[in-house]
Order: sequence, then C-alpha cells, then structure tokens
Amino acid sequence: MMLTIALPTGRVFSDAAEMIAGAGLPCDGLASPGRKLVIEAGEFRYILAKPSDVPLYVSYGTADLAFAGGDVLLESAMPVVELLDTGAGRCSVVVAGPRSQAERFRGHASELMGLKVATKYPRIADGHFSARGVQVDIIHLHGSIELAPKLGLSDCILDIVQTGSTLRANSLEVLEHVCDVSLRLVASRKSTALRWKEVQSVMNKISSHVKEKRP
Amino acid sequence: MVNRLPRGCVNVGGELASAMEECRRIFLSFFENWGYSPFLPSGLQLLESAWDKLPSQVRSRLVALTTPYGEPCCLRGDITLAAVAYLASHYAPEEQPLRICYCDRVYMKSAPPRTSIESFQIGAELLGWEGEGADAEMLSLLLRVLDALGLERTTIALGDSTFLQRALASAESAAAESLADALRKGSLPDYFAALEKGNIPDFYRTILSAIPRLRGDISVLSEAEKLWGRGAPLSALKTTAATLESQGYGNRISIDLSLARDPGYYSGPLFEVYSWESGRSLGGGGRYDRLLSSCGLKGQAMGFALDLEQAASLSSFPSRRSPTMAWAGGLSPEEALRRAADLSSDGTRIEMNWNGDRNASLQAAEKRGCRSWVDLASGTAFTLFPAGKGGAS
Repeated sequence: MMLTIALPTGRVFSDAAEMIAGAGLPCDGLASPGRKLVIEAGEFRYILAKPSDVPLYVSYGTADLAFAGGDVLLESAMPVVELLDTGAGRCSVVVAGPRSQAERFRGHASELMGLKVATKYPRIADGHFSARGVQVDIIHLHGSIELAPKLGLSDCILDIVQTGSTLRANSLEVLEHVCDVSLRLVASRKSTALRWKEVQSVMNKISSHVKEKRP
Repeated sequence: MVNRLPRGCVNVGGELASAMEECRRIFLSFFENWGYSPFLPSGLQLLESAWDKLPSQVRSRLVALTTPYGEPCCLRGDITLAAVAYLASHYAPEEQPLRICYCDRVYMKSAPPRTSIESFQIGAELLGWEGEGADAEMLSLLLRVLDALGLERTTIALGDSTFLQRALASAESAAAESLADALRKGSLPDYFAALEKGNIPDFYRTILSAIPRLRGDISVLSEAEKLWGRGAPLSALKTTAATLESQGYGNRISIDLSLARDPGYYSGPLFEVYSWESGRSLGGGGRYDRLLSSCGLKGQAMGFALDLEQAASLSSFPSRRSPTMAWAGGLSPEEALRRAADLSSDGTRIEMNWNGDRNASLQAAEKRGCRSWVDLASGTAFTLFPAGKGGAS
C-alpha cells in the first residue's frame, strides 16, 4: 500500500523536497512539479498542499505523513503526531510593534489590557495572551500584517520572523518572543498506530539526513 | 422558513439515518445476547457529581447549563459515568458484575478540525468484575460486533497505561507530567526534550526512550518485556492479546505502548479502533478502575464507545436497505395493507404507494431508489437493476 506524504507549497517546499531527496526516498518529479498537485514515485504519493491545509490532510488520515511548519501546527491545533523537528526554516513567532509600545510590554500585565493585536495566527495569539490573563483584541488578517500598526489598525502584531528585515523596513521591533518554530515531520495518529514500520522507516531516513547536514 | 441549527448540531436523515438505525439495532441485540442490558442515561448530569470524576480532556469540552430548578449541570458528555453511578446506587456488591450497552447522543465540543458538539455513541461497559477475563471479553466482543456491523477492515491499536505509568513513576513529578503530556499531545520532539532534562534512573530512561517506537504487531510485547526484564507490567495486555490471537484476531490488533490518556482515569489496557477506510479513530476505550473506586465500588471497569455515525457511514448498510414499493393498484386500503403485511412478514421492507396510475407508481419506485416494485392487486413484481435505476425486468 502506498504511503502518502503531504508537502507544503510555498516558502518551505524546497526544504521539504530537498529532505526527501537527501533521505533517499523516491522523488521523481518533485524537483519541478509544475502545476501537478499529486505526484507518485515508487511506493510514495506526494500531495502538494497549501501550508495551512497540511495538518488537516494528516488529521483526517488522507496523508500518512507530512512536512508542516511549527507555526501552522500550533495554529491548527489538530491532532497529529509530531515525529521530528527537522530544524529547517527555523524562525520565531514574536509580538512586534512600534518602539512606542515597548514600555507597555516592560510593565505590569495590566498595561497590556485591551491591546489590539493584528495576526494571521489568532489561536496562537489568544493562547499566548490569555495564558497570562491578558485580554486583547485580536484582529485576524491574512497577509501584510506589518501594515496594521502603521495604519492604526492595531497596536502591535504577532507574526513569524526570520531575519527581522521586514520588521525593520516597517519600523517595528520585537516586543516579546512567543516561541521558536521550524519545519516538522508529522504523521497521522492512525498511520503511527497501524503502519508504524513504514512511518518509522521514513522518519529514520529523514532523521539521518538531518543529522548529516547539521554542522 | 429556514430552520437553522445551532453551530455544531446536526439532523441526520436519509440513508445514513437508516444505516445508523441498523447498526444500533445490530449492536444492541448483539450485546444483549451476551448478557449486556440496555441502559438509557439521563440527558443531564449534575456538575457537582460529574466534575471530579471525568477525565480532564472531557471536562474542558463539556456543554454546561443550568436546569429550570437552578442546578448547575452539563449535557451528558459521557455515558460511562452515568453507568457507574447507576451501578453504585442500584446494585448490591453480590449482584456484580454489571454489563450494560447503550446507544445515545453525547454532547461535547469536538477537537479541531471538527466543530460538532453532539454525536451518537454506541458502547458497552463491564463493571465490577474482580477476576481475569473482563479485558479479553470486551475486546473480543468488540471485534465480533465490528464484523457484524460490516466493519471487517478495522484494527484495534492496543496499549496499556500501566506500562507507561510504572516507567514514569521513577521520574520527578514535573518531568513525568511533561513526558505524559508530550505523548498525549503526540509530540516526540517535546517528549525527547523532556526526557533529556528529567532526572531519571538509567534503567527507566532506557525504557522511556524506547516507548515511542514500541508499536507494531504482537511481537512488540516480547520486545518490551525483554527491555524491562522480570516484572514487566504487561501481563494483562499479554493475556488479552494472546486470547484475541487464539480467536483468529491476531491480524486485527496492533500494539502501541505509547498510547497515553489521562493517567488519573485510565488504569490498564486501553485502545483505539481504526478503520482502514477512514483516517479518524472510530472510537476507543479501556480500563478505568479508578472511577469505580472513586464511587466506592470494588473491581475492574472496562468499556468502549464508538461513533455511530462514522461506523454507519463505513458499514455496507446504506446501500442495501432500499425497499420494495408496494402499489395498491386499486385495492381498498384495508385489503392493500393486509397483502402488504403478508409481504413484509418475511422481513421485506415495504413502502406503500397509493398512486392511481401504474406507470406513475413504477416511475416513483425508480426515482425513490426502490430495489423492486410489486402490484398488490395482481401479484406482479419487478426487480429494478440496480436499486431504483435502469429498466424493469
């Protein structure tokens, strides 16, 4: 029976495809998929999916395995088994805002009450602030988050940051670190229960490749 | 008028409802034949009675409300608790064990990606037996009833909370909690990070390191036993697995010693049921002796619950329940109904048709997906191939 692996399109696709090739898994056609969304190679079927949909494919068991960003997994809160932190695409989820907001974040939690937070991660934002008992106004945006404070839509943003250059370009600075995220190898609960040997074999191959690559 | 339902609620009708009803009937009748009595719990549970006794994952998903008498309650999120309370108040110790089966709605907020707050559960519980056999009985009956429901392509992933709990007992409580939490969440990176940080004796560290990969066929039990050496807390699971294997169900069970649920609730073998046709678990169960002791009862408690809607949609019943259309054909209602009753006495499903026109009745039978059509006046019958489609023969 084929093993189905979901791969996120976009920023981290090349990392995931490189890891599959490096681990020695069949990957004909993955290097240049064109408009194809399903690619079969050997005993594997690869599904190319929007990053935010990847946890859904896994939790419904449509995909046995997948690569997914830690931010996407946290935001989806879907029941999957996280097998491996590949370390690829490492970045941080942070709260960022104009320098004028920094004082509020250095003070007592009460200073943050009613803070307007623009984000494409409403669940992570809610979890982060509500864990400290802070009630904030979460504004769910789907892109160009950095614009929100500039236009007066929000006091700050919660977003992922890799180098910080986009923040700096928009006169924003990191106010609070939320968590580190990276590309994870995940599996469906069903596949880890019923097809563990195959899942483990893929996990071990990718783990060996990741270790080889680490300096 | 639009009849909008509250978010998370569902009306079920059509073929799925028929399939669910058939599954319910088969399930309850199967368990009644094995001495399990049907149980109809109250729709509401008092929060003060339920709160401390329910697993923490269930508590956070309950639907709370206040009755017209001002009592804080929740909609029934779990039938097991009601069953145990019933046992405690209605049966003397010498009348134990109590075997019950049920089919009812339960109300709980679903985990993402689902948004439902109500679902249909079928389940069975064996309460208050102190000797061996309860685990094997429950799992063996579960596999048999899955077969009876047409769910032969299902596998039970079987674990044992005792194995993990005994290994975790060697760790400091914070480390043990982090490890159990990581397994429950399904995060191996978090699990291994917690293992690295924790102050754990080498012997148990080796076992805990191996737990995430102790999954697979029954041979995993020998591997785990070798790792632990003498006194490995696996005897209940080994006996159960061996019994199921001897019954020919060896290929329908897999072992997963990393299965983790609320340790304050589960206390022995636990399991999840998976269908090869679906990604989500069909349900699960396990041994929960602690709930019994918290209600002042002795003995073991073992039970399971399955999602009836999912079970029915995976069963073969939706496609084989199309009825025969019985056309009155000008007979008086009294005579037509008498003849239809004769026809249905052998179990044939009948749908009456009072249309005055024969051809219109035949067309209606095709449109409604009937497998056959019969003229009650003349006794002429047609089989429609496939059910409701194609020409008459």
